[in-house]
Formats: sequence, structure tokens, C-alpha cells
Amino acid sequence: MADTMTIKLVFSGGLELLFGNERNQSVLIPPLVPSDNSTHSSPSSSPSTPSSHNDILTGETKAADLEYLIYHLRDHLLKERPELFMENGTIRPGILVLINNTDWELEGEGSYQLCNNDEIVFISTLHGG
Amino acid sequence: MSSCGNPATEEQALMPRRLKFGKSKDCVRCRLKPGNIVIRHAVYCKECFTPIVDMKFRKALEPSVNARAGTSKRPKLKASGNLCLAFSGGLGSSITLDIVHNTYFSSRPPLDDLGKPRGGTNHPRNVSVWPSCLVCYVEVCGAFAGMHDRTEDIRSVVERYPSFEFVPLRIEDAFDGSWWTKVSGSNITPQVWLELSKEGLITDGLHVASKVTDLTPVEAMRSYLSSLPTQTAISSALQNLTRVLILHTAHSRGSSHLLFGSSLTSISISLLSSISQGGGYAIREELQEEWAPVAASGSKPNNVLRVIRPLRDVTAKECAIYAWWNNISVVGRDKQRRAILGIAALTKNFVVGLEKDYPSTVSTIARTCEKLEPKDVPSGQCRLCKRPMQSAIQEWKDRISIRSYSDDKLAADLAHIPSPCRGNLDTRTPPQVPPLLALTDFLCYSCHTTLTSRSSRGVKQSAPGVSSATPLPIWVADRGLHEDGLIGDGTRRKIPKEEMLDIVANFLINDQELRGMRYLQRFL
Repeated sequence: MADTMTIKLVFSGGLELLFGNERNQSVLIPPLVPSDNSTHSSPSSSPSTPSSHNDILTGETKAADLEYLIYHLRDHLLKERPELFMENGTIRPGILVLINNTDWELEGEGSYQLCNNDEIVFISTLHGG
Repeated sequence: MSSCGNPATEEQALMPRRLKFGKSKDCVRCRLKPGNIVIRHAVYCKECFTPIVDMKFRKALEPSVNARAGTSKRPKLKASGNLCLAFSGGLGSSITLDIVHNTYFSSRPPLDDLGKPRGGTNHPRNVSVWPSCLVCYVEVCGAFAGMHDRTEDIRSVVERYPSFEFVPLRIEDAFDGSWWTKVSGSNITPQVWLELSKEGLITDGLHVASKVTDLTPVEAMRSYLSSLPTQTAISSALQNLTRVLILHTAHSRGSSHLLFGSSLTSISISLLSSISQGGGYAIREELQEEWAPVAASGSKPNNVLRVIRPLRDVTAKECAIYAWWNNISVVGRDKQRRAILGIAALTKNFVVGLEKDYPSTVSTIARTCEKLEPKDVPSGQCRLCKRPMQSAIQEWKDRISIRSYSDDKLAADLAHIPSPCRGNLDTRTPPQVPPLLALTDFLCYSCHTTLTSRSSRGVKQSAPGVSSATPLPIWVADRGLHEDGLIGDGTRRKIPKEEMLDIVANFLINDQELRGMRYLQRFL
């Protein structure tokens, strides 16, 4: 089983206020995650834990992608106001996402498959003029 | 979902997701490197992106720098006064600060977070376009209980640009006679107060009185805001107060140009929001204007202030990426301030959502509004928001609304109302109150709506000990309200016919002169 991936995160444009005022953080994401983006299991859990084992048996897994990462951030890192981060199952309009310094629209948005040491930047554009 | 009936298609086939960019992921400008950002379906690499934003900025600003356009295609830029930047700490104004410094004041490079000089582009042609630059910031913590005062945070940002002078203002300066004396040079005038109803809201008649106040500027400002009928009105009032404070400050300091950091997205939001609140008459001023305070004689002074929004072609997304890739720190806004309410918030949510899915429509809003202009000439300058004011607002409102139940239009309709219920309707003809002490004729439609609109949720509960009147911003009393008959002994004086004839006598043509003119016409 492939190792857990380290994903570097940067929050900017005021978004850091929702994540405990920490601009730079990192998370550990397993290579396979539930297809329904459920984040109940711990990210550092080993493949032998019952929940992930059941998911593998039922085949309802997918390679960890950006869509799952967003759910993971909402459920495990976000300190307040989840509605300011996520809306309708995706990132809220007005928040720009960069994957390794590239617009996520060029990388397939939520379906981009995460790689080890990827840097994901979330920038809020909602602070106006 | 029903099938279209075409046997050649797969029933379970999903429509492929529409790409948000063209066919290629390479930069459309250099065509050499893979793209890093998608802006309205066009892909740009990081190296090509920054010069494009700089170019858009200069293209929006430089045609307005020289007082006269001239005939040269690339004239030497020289402004007639100094430059003023309106700085809110937000994304757009932070970028404006940086680009202006790098382009026009680059002899002294800006400093980074560690106090070391940052790199900047040198443009010898553009050095000394303006002799100096002010950066105005309006602190609004006085309007929100418990909000942190960010003046010193903003000062530390501006101090990284050694060429700029920081001019801090406070929102309550709008109710401070000493500030008004400083910017206008006029003596402190009695403040104009608006009558309030028993619920503590401004009455429809907008009746005013003049009196000297013992309230502090903060108390006066909070009294004014608490008398406004809706959250939308409070948002609009704060925006107007901020803008007029900066306008007067910039003008009094000899500025020829005032720049706001509104991005294309912000402009589209403010245009829609303003129009929905009755501000369509000043739609051109939302984009760009030449402004000057109206003098007591009614004429505008020679030194007009050009108000420009150089990021008007740059979307919020472009601003965010530009700030990120150029290490521009953004102070941002306090949490409470970010929670704007009312029509402005709804419009912002709508436009931001639109920008995500249909980015080109955001620019369509601004482009369409650029083509609009009012039919008639303004009848003056609104005393509250200092924008052009259309004429005959009250007559128009009277035509489209029913002012009392005794109105003829309602007479026939009342027949269907059961007799026991008619007792609640006051069908008496209202007494003809003479139009004394009313601010109505001196406000634009948008300001009139701001002061008198009522929420569909009903009137707010009055607080114990509610005041009977609320002060207005200090500039409302300027320009001799005595002449307008608004304040003074409290009555308008009707000029007798004989006095009117004395005034215009020198301009009247008598019969003998008229006959002479007709005789001359025969030879022309």
C-alpha cells in the first residue's frame, strides 16, 4: 500500500482567519479515500483499520483528489464558519485554488489527483477594493 | 429525466464538462510556456500575467493624467496637482498602492515585511508625473461596537512605500466641525438635524432643523446610523460617508487625481447594488467622474478632482493572483466589517457566483453600464452624497405613489372593504403642510430612498429614550442653506413681485429697444 501523502497548504486573502490564523499548514492524506468523500476515518490510520478495510472490500474508494481534500479541510482543520469555505460540495465561489502555482481550472479542479508534497494555495478574493 | 428518443445515443451518457479555457493549456501570449492561470477563458503563464495587469492599469489611468488630451499619441505625462489614493486595506487598493509606487514613484523602492527594499520597475518617462502622493484611509471602527482600530496596521503598510504620505481619517469626521473647517476653510456651521418618528426612524417628510450639538462626533455618527431604516441603508450610508470624506480631503490637499482600488468585480457589484437602490442617475460617476465641491455662489471651482478606478478592467481573480505572485501583503478587513448586509451582500454573492461560472458576464455588467447616461442635465449636486441630482424627484414620486387614502385613485376601491375595517383608514384630506424645512429637494433619489425606505419586515422597535432628531453629516449644512431657505428663522420668504422686477429690470428689453431690434433684422 502506498504511503500517506503530505500535502502543504497555504491560506491567504483572509482565509487564514477561518483556519486558526495559520497561513502555512500541512496535512496527511491517504492514497485511497472513500468515494463519497467521507472523512470519518483518521488520515493517518493504517490500511488495516476496519473502516478503510471495509471501503476497500466494497470497492467504494477513489484515489485521493482535491475534492476529498476540501472535505477533509472542512471537517478537520476549519475552526469556524464552514459556509465561508465550502458551498454545494465544492469550494465557495470567490476562493481561488492554486495547485503547485497553477490554477486548479487547468488541473481538472476537484478531480485533480493529489501527489506527495503538492502545495495547494487557497486565496480568498472577497476582500474587495 | 425523460429521454430525447434518439436511438443512436447512450442513455446513461453524461454531457462532458465544458472547459473553462481554450483548447490549449499553453500561454496565449508567449505560446512557449505552459499556462499557470485562466482568465476569462484565456490561459497565461506567470511571467506574462503581471505585465498584462500592469498594462491594463496604465491604460485605464494614463489617458486621464494630463489636464488636456492634446494631439500626441504618447504625450509626456504631467498632472496638474498631486495624487491621492483611497486605501481600504483590501485587495484592490493594496495592488493599486504597489503598482502606483512601482510605476510612478519608483526612485525609492518599497520595503518588504523585513524592512528591506523590494525590486521595482523603473520607468524614467513616468517619474514625477505627480509631485507627491497621499494615501487616505478611513477608519470605520467607530460605527461597529467592539471593532478593532486598524489605523496603525494600515500605517505600517503605507510606510513601506517611502514616497507616500499617510492621511488617516475616521468615519466620525463626517460629523466633526473641526475636520470640516480644515478641509473647507469655512467656519463651523450649525449642524442640520433630521426629524425622527416615534419609532426612531427618519420621517418621510425629511424635515430639518438647525441647532448646535453637544454630541461628540462618534455619538452623532452612531445616532445617524441608528436612525436609518434598513441594513441596506446603513451599508450605503457608510460607503457614502467614506467616499465624501476622501473626496473633500483629496480636494483640499490639492490633488488632481483620486484613485480607488475597485476591481472590475467590485465595480460590477457596486453598479448593480447602486441601481437597485435608485442610484441609476449617477451610474457614470460610479465608474469615473470629475468632482469638485459646489461653491456658495453655485459655481464649481477651477481645480476639479478626477476620480479614477484604474483596476476597472481587472477582475478580483486577477487581483488575487497578482498580489500572490508579487508578494503584496493584504491587510484585509475586520470580520465584522466583512459581514456586510442587505442588498450589497446579496449582490456580491450573486456577482461572485457569476464570476466563477460565467466570468465574461461580470465585465458585461460594467461595459453595459458604461454606455448609459441620463437624458437630462443634473439640477445640482446632492447635499448628502455629493453626486449629480436629477430634477423633479418629488413630482415623479407623487405620480407613481398614493400618498393618502383620500386620493381619488383609491376612492372607488374602498367600496370593497368591509365597513368595520374602514375605521382604521384615515380618509380625511391631509392638511396642506407648507414645504418648510424639508431636505427633499436637495437630495438625489438614491439618498432619499436610503433615508426613507422601509423594510418589509416592519419597523424596528424603538429603543427607550429615543431621540426626536438625528444629526446629518456636517457638509449638508454647507453652501449657505440660509439662501436655500432651509434654515435660518425657519420660514421661506416669498419674494414680492415688485422686488423680483427690481432684480431683473436691467435685463428686460423695453418696447423701444424691441422696435429697434426688429428694424435691424430687416437688413440682416
